[in-house]
Order: sequence, then C-alpha cells, then structure tokens
Amino acid sequence: MSIRTLLAATMLLLGAAAIPTQHAAAREESAEAFPAGPGRDETFGTCSACHAYRLVAAQGLSRDRWDETMTLMTEKHGMPKLEGDERRVILDYLATAHPPKRAVGTGGFQVPFAPQ
Amino acid sequence: MTLKSDDATAIPRRPTGLDRRGFLARAGLAGAALGAGGAMTPGTVQAQETKPAEASKPGGTAEPAAFAYEGKDAGLTGLGDRPLVAETPAHLLDDDTTPITKFFIRCNGQVPEPAADRETWSLTIDGEVEAPLVLSLKELKDRFKPVTYRMVLECGGNGRSSFQPPARGNQWTNGGAGCAEWTGIPLNAVLQAAKVKPSARYTAHHGADPHLSGDAKKDSLSRGMPVAKAMDAHNLLVFAMNGEPLPTIHGGPLRLVVPGWPGSLSHKWLTRITLRDREHDGQGMTGHSYRLPERPLVPGSKGDGVPFRILESMPVRAVTTSPANGTRLPAGARDLDLRGAAWGGEVPIARVEVSIDGGQTWTEAALAPLKNRYDWHRWTARLTLPSDGYYEIFARATDVSGRTQPTLATNWNPQGYGGNAQHRIAILVG
Repeated sequence: MSIRTLLAATMLLLGAAAIPTQHAAAREESAEAFPAGPGRDETFGTCSACHAYRLVAAQGLSRDRWDETMTLMTEKHGMPKLEGDERRVILDYLATAHPPKRAVGTGGFQVPFAPQ
Repeated sequence: MTLKSDDATAIPRRPTGLDRRGFLARAGLAGAALGAGGAMTPGTVQAQETKPAEASKPGGTAEPAAFAYEGKDAGLTGLGDRPLVAETPAHLLDDDTTPITKFFIRCNGQVPEPAADRETWSLTIDGEVEAPLVLSLKELKDRFKPVTYRMVLECGGNGRSSFQPPARGNQWTNGGAGCAEWTGIPLNAVLQAAKVKPSARYTAHHGADPHLSGDAKKDSLSRGMPVAKAMDAHNLLVFAMNGEPLPTIHGGPLRLVVPGWPGSLSHKWLTRITLRDREHDGQGMTGHSYRLPERPLVPGSKGDGVPFRILESMPVRAVTTSPANGTRLPAGARDLDLRGAAWGGEVPIARVEVSIDGGQTWTEAALAPLKNRYDWHRWTARLTLPSDGYYEIFARATDVSGRTQPTLATNWNPQGYGGNAQHRIAILVG
C-alpha cells in the first residue's frame, strides 16, 4: 500500500469517526491481539490514540517506510513528534511486527528493485 | 509429514553434523564448506527465482543461500531436501541445451546409491506381453539401436507457484523444466520385441529409488501411460544425457524419458515396465495427483465430488532467459535484446510474444527451428525502450491450436497442475 493510500485510509477512518450518523461502531482493540514483542504497548498506545491499530497491522512496510510514515503522521495528522529512544522502540516494533509482505501467486516474482 | 525414519536413512551419504538445512541457511555455508566433509549433500533454502547481485532484495526476505550438491550449479533454487527437489531459475535456462549442472532435480523418494556397474543394470518388461524381457543395459544397447533427441523434460507441477491461493506441492516457478540431449533406446522397439498383447491398455513404471519412509513395500512413485502414448517414437529408455553417462541424480544408469507429458512418467532408476489391462493405479495415479478437474473449481476448495481427469500434454510456456530478472542497465540504454525458450507439451508452438507494458502491446519474437519433435524453441526479440526507468517484461507463447498463456494461473486445482501464467521479469534502466 502506498503512503497515499495509507493516508486516504487514515482520513476515511478519521472521517468516519467524526460523522455521528455512521452506524459502524469502533471495534474494541487490545494490544494483546497483535504480534508480541518489545515495544508493542508503546506502539499500540501511540497509534491507537487517533486511529484503530487494525489499520497499522494491515500494513507491511520496511523500517525506512515506517519512519517516513511516522513523520507523515506528525506533519499531517498532529501526532506528537517522537525522537530518540521513544521513536526507536516504536520503529523497531513496527518493522518487526509488520514487515513487507511477500507477494504470493506470482510465480515467484517479487519486484527486485524495491527500496530497503 | 508422516515420516518417522531418521535423516541418515532418508538421505544416504549425508555428512554427520550437518543435519538440518536450517543450519546451512543460518550459517550461510556454501558448497566449499560442505565439500570439505567429503561427499556432498543438498543444502537447500527457501528461495524463489533469484536475481543477480546488483538487484536489491525484497525487504523482509532472507538472502538466498547457494544450492550445494555435487555437480550442480550453486544458482539452482532448492525447493526441498527430503525428497531432494531443485529448480532452475529462468536466467540459468539460457543455454540452447541445458547443461547437466543446471538441470532441475525432482526426486520422489530417496536417491539410490550409484550403480557399481552400469552395464549390468536390469530392466524387466512384463505383464500383458507375449514375450517378457529381462535385459541388462548392455544387452539393451547391443540388441537395439540407440537414438539421440534434444527434448524438454518438465515436471507436471511446473508453474505451480502462480496459483492463488497457493496449491499444494513444490512451489515451482517455471524452472521445473530443462532441455537436454537424451540418448537411449526407443521404448516402442522394446515393446514390439516383447510383443504387447491386444489386452494391454496401460503401462506401469517401477524404479529402484527407496520410499522416503524406507518401507521396501512402498513405491516412491509408479505412474503409467496409455499404450498409444507408450508407442510414441520419441519415448526413450535413456542411458546418456548430453553425451555423458546418465548421472545418478537424473535417474542413471537407466530412466524413461516420455516427452510432452508430466515428468513423473519419465521414470528414474527404471527397473520394470509392466503392461496392464487397465489404467494403472500406482503411486501418483490416483486421487488428485497429476489430475485436473473436469469442471472449474472454486479456488481453495477440496474438489470433493468433482470428477478429475489425468493430466496428459503439458501446457504451452515461454520463459525469458536473458536478461535475468533484476538486471540493471546503464542510463540511456534503449535497445533491449531478449532471449528465451518456449515449449508446449505435445502441441507445437506457433509464436512467442513479449510486452513491456503489461500486455497492452506485444512484439513477436523470432523462433529458432527445432532439432526434432519435443525440442524447445529458442527465441530472440529486440525491443526499443522509450526512456530510462523500471520495466516489467512479460513473455507468452501460443500453440498451433491457438491456446496462449494467461496472465494468471487458471483452472485452480488442489495440487496445482497446468499453471502456465506468463513469465514476468523486471529490469531497471539508469
């Protein structure tokens, strides 16, 4: 999923929450439902402060692209700026728990020049 | 897996201390390290179609480790080591005749010990015949005239990894195929000498490879074909490959090569062909093995209650063998020369086309002539690239009956036969 698609999905979710006539109720989420690992609680808390963590778990991104995504969330969506160990712990978790997904059913083809 | 035997039983000659392919992968050991232990053994890892060094690897995937087996190219892709299975990445199918070093490996059971004396290897022809034969390889060569044909040998499951959802079995890309010079005795000459009875309907093939479990009562594989197909003049009892004595790993001293149909009919370490008065029901003949559904299935379903028919001719297929997937060309490169191979089971190839725009436009490739029936066509094409950038190259073959390769694997079936989606590679210019 591209950053643009991710942004669109985020806006949809945020938008849905703001419309009172929307029937779909926010699903209860808990950190335990997602892959165990160091930094899970911090990551869950940071991301789900604004949007469902399910949206995060649906992504598969490299550490660099998670870093870009965090920057985007700060610059465009008002997430508090995270730096140093705070940022590293979350990035480590995101990169480990939600890495890029291999394409299947492609006869073995993977885009060979994908940025690291 | 229901296997209970220990590794030493399953794969003879395995050096002690290297008993897990995972160890090999983690340690990053290649052939040289194994070679120090004397006999080589497969050290395989999960890796799909490989790419040259300059290509960056997809994030989150392990670096493919070298394939380690005596006499085999380190660039083969190991799909399993018990049984031993390895495929040839498309860029290693770039030779007109596939060298033994690059030829794919498909075993169903254990690899037998190499024969001490090739010439005394014994073949029996029995069952529905007037004159059963028991011939040594030497007698076979003395009594019948050998011929040599260059022919494609292709695993029935080739292309399986194109199915979505994944189908069960080895996840071949397009590399469960190769084209070698096979020297052997025409099977039909031997069957004529054995005087096949009119009651004979089907062959049943048996080999010397022990079952993975070590159970001597079980066949690793025992497939067969209708007598009409058995009489095809290109079926050979093969004892030499590319002019060399048939290597043990490819079924030597003696194997069948039955071109155009699934490779499982080309029985390795062949000891017996029994003529039967009915369709053979050996290992690999029943259930969903080597069979396609007679009506389209919902992908992922079990196929219960649906009739299945035996897979006969393999489907049409083209691969681009040069450049390799992941090749990077210098900025400004505009002429793109492509090379490849195409084959089509029993049905001849009519044309091969390539596309750099996902199939919006196609350019026809030039086909080299065949040496003989069941040979593959080598093909070449030159494309002009409009600019620097990233290009995906698709190749498709069409047979003389008009059947062309689909963009995706179609006719999903539980064990994934007939997958012949267009081959896809990517290059980067600049």
